[in-house]
Amino acid sequence: MSNVVGSRTARGRVLTAVGVVAVLAFTLFPVFVMLSTAVDARANDGNRSLLPTQFTLANFAFVLDEGRFLTYLRNSLLVALATVVISGLIALFASVAVARFKFRFRTSVLVMILIVQMVPLEALVIPLFVQAKSLNLLDDLFGLVVVYVAFSLPFAIWTLRGFVAAVPFEIEEAAYMDGASWFQMFWRVLFPLVAPGLVATSVFSFITAWNEFIFAITFMSDQDKYTVAAGLRRFFTQYGTNWGAVMAGSTLITVPVMLFFVAVQRKLSAGLVAGAVKG
Amino acid sequence: MRAWRPWVLIAPALAVLGGLLLYPLYRVAWLSFQDFGLRELVTGETDWIGFANFGELLSEPLLWETVLPNTVVFAVVNVALTVTVGTLVALLLARLGPWTRGIATSAIMVAWAVPAVTGTYVWVFLFDARSGAVMRALGSLGLIDPETTNWFTERLPFFGIATLNVVHHGFPFVAITVLAGLMTLPEDVMEAAIVDGASAWQRFWLITVPLLKPIFAVVTILSTIWDFKVFTQIYLMPGGDGANRDVLNLGTWSYVSSFAQNRYGLGSAIAVMLTLVLLLITMFYLRVLFRQDEI
Repeated sequence: MSNVVGSRTARGRVLTAVGVVAVLAFTLFPVFVMLSTAVDARANDGNRSLLPTQFTLANFAFVLDEGRFLTYLRNSLLVALATVVISGLIALFASVAVARFKFRFRTSVLVMILIVQMVPLEALVIPLFVQAKSLNLLDDLFGLVVVYVAFSLPFAIWTLRGFVAAVPFEIEEAAYMDGASWFQMFWRVLFPLVAPGLVATSVFSFITAWNEFIFAITFMSDQDKYTVAAGLRRFFTQYGTNWGAVMAGSTLITVPVMLFFVAVQRKLSAGLVAGAVKG
Repeated sequence: MRAWRPWVLIAPALAVLGGLLLYPLYRVAWLSFQDFGLRELVTGETDWIGFANFGELLSEPLLWETVLPNTVVFAVVNVALTVTVGTLVALLLARLGPWTRGIATSAIMVAWAVPAVTGTYVWVFLFDARSGAVMRALGSLGLIDPETTNWFTERLPFFGIATLNVVHHGFPFVAITVLAGLMTLPEDVMEAAIVDGASAWQRFWLITVPLLKPIFAVVTILSTIWDFKVFTQIYLMPGGDGANRDVLNLGTWSYVSSFAQNRYGLGSAIAVMLTLVLLLITMFYLRVLFRQDEI
């Protein structure tokens, strides 16, 4: 429907251009504020303008060194990568089961996967905190990994399911004709074909783990075990907020996620349509 | 195919989901019937008090005057705004050339990628009393007195800022999904409507909306679920961590009752209420999904 409706008249073109500028400004403004404050030597000056007056990397140096962000980045990376690998494997197996096999309770399993997606983290944090405390899993990064695997699974299964279903069954049969066992077929044929979908869901699992906040602040009291999302809170003190440090830390958290998102945007929207919309 | 194979494949997923999502749900329901405080947390003893937590909750004026309105009105307003903004942006993207659309889509992806934590800090920074850029700009226009105005202490401005944050964070999903739907619309139907003299407004309401109804239903219901349980964006704002009881919603109230006041039983009861509300919305969502086609 694109060009027929849009740019027929000059007025339409002007309106479109204004719209694009407005969208760009609204979407990018907070990011711009974050970046410009992070590199501003006068970030904590109440009268500064939004454009940096004096460029500096001192905020980043402070955050990485005294702000201990090197430790937090390492913790977050460990937790996120472990989450990606574990939930990717579990989700791939599960999605093959629901996409390729007809079995009893298949629909019930799918409905359950949909329902658990709505469970609010606020309802889970209390029982899991009590549980983790009695199991001595508080202040343990592995405790976070286990929780994040559970959170990222429903979406990963739901999305991968669409990718697995899109692989023609004939390809599988051809593999069997050539004498492959089921597991050979799975690793040599199905896995490479589903890999793009796995990339998209991995990014989502990574971001779930990287951005998560409630569990990160509740489970970790030892500051050495903080993830980045929790670590930012250290720059808010009763004596005031070190905004330069907050924004430099925020930049370190946001930029990797952003690069990921832009890199996989095609697969992401394809996956969203395949998984969330088509059902 | 042997019958056990799908079960072997799906067993790990079921174990994780059962152990970390379903069992805790049972536990939170169980906790909501307990008087569970610091002592119980340390000793592991239990103290069954029946519906006392719920009784306390339902007779609490804070629930009816503050927490429920904060949760429900906020969700309704934010869903309406998120879906409207997202749809408008999708319609705009659909009429762009491939090049401009690529740039605009990337920018939207950037907004989507900003983590809730860092996004919230940016908005707090902008509206910070005295030093925030927006507050100073409004002050220099003479609209507010920046020396005495702190928008985070008042309920409406507080949730206004939160709305800006949540809509900014939430509209990209709507825009990208609706855009994907717009791309599937048959072009000849639109052309025929134009030939018949239908205005853009009529074409949207008479063709686009009916054809994309399933997509609009999905984004609306998912946004509703997300906006009802919004936590990080409220908790991280000044006063949102329970210091200002006027701005509590169900999620933050449950968390603060548990972890700031050590009343895990009461906090669980609030969490159960929130979960029940979300369950109702989800049931509705499932009915919509199943009506579309079988899964």
